[in-house]
Amino acid sequence: MVKTERMQAQEIAPTPGNAWMIGVVAWFIPGLGHALQKRWVRAALMGGAVWLSFFIGLQMGGHMFDLSAAEGSSTLLQVPPMIANIGTGALYIVSWLLGIGFADDPVQAARATYEYGNTFLLIAGLLNYLTMLDAFDIAAGRKP
Amino acid sequence: MRHFLVMCLFAALASVILGAMTKEDDRERWLYGVKVFAEFIVIGLALGWLLYFIPW
Repeated sequence: MVKTERMQAQEIAPTPGNAWMIGVVAWFIPGLGHALQKRWVRAALMGGAVWLSFFIGLQMGGHMFDLSAAEGSSTLLQVPPMIANIGTGALYIVSWLLGIGFADDPVQAARATYEYGNTFLLIAGLLNYLTMLDAFDIAAGRKP
Repeated sequence: MRHFLVMCLFAALASVILGAMTKEDDRERWLYGVKVFAEFIVIGLALGWLLYFIPW
């Protein structure tokens, strides 16, 4: 389908309002966007992968990013990884409120799995953005 | 060995999502997921060997 045809198709079928709601819910609680649409297997697989990745990252001693810059570092450099971390929605917010995974602890940073943990936490958020888009597409009727 | 297992776990989690959200039917999704998983492992190992010989 060429771009003009795609634009016409979009004009004919506007995005339903609940698709946006599903997108927000899917971001906030990983897997819930699919579960609300009764896509149980997708919810379990995709949401489960995000939850698992997040908790494995925490277990490995990974560190999440917020706007407070480490010593000798710029706040701007914290923004891209913070955007990735925020992808986990409520998991990030609850961890931030409880102060879990945000401590800048040299002992924790010395762990052999520290960088792995960081990567798992970043990837959990990025994978949840994909999960959110998938749930949104299904709700909008763009995907079977 | 542990590093390899962590890489496999990472590849498995990423390929589950990439496999589940692409393609039209379940068989194609499975095949794509397995393909992505294999690519993660092979490219990871290849890069590991390549970087081993680079001193900096």
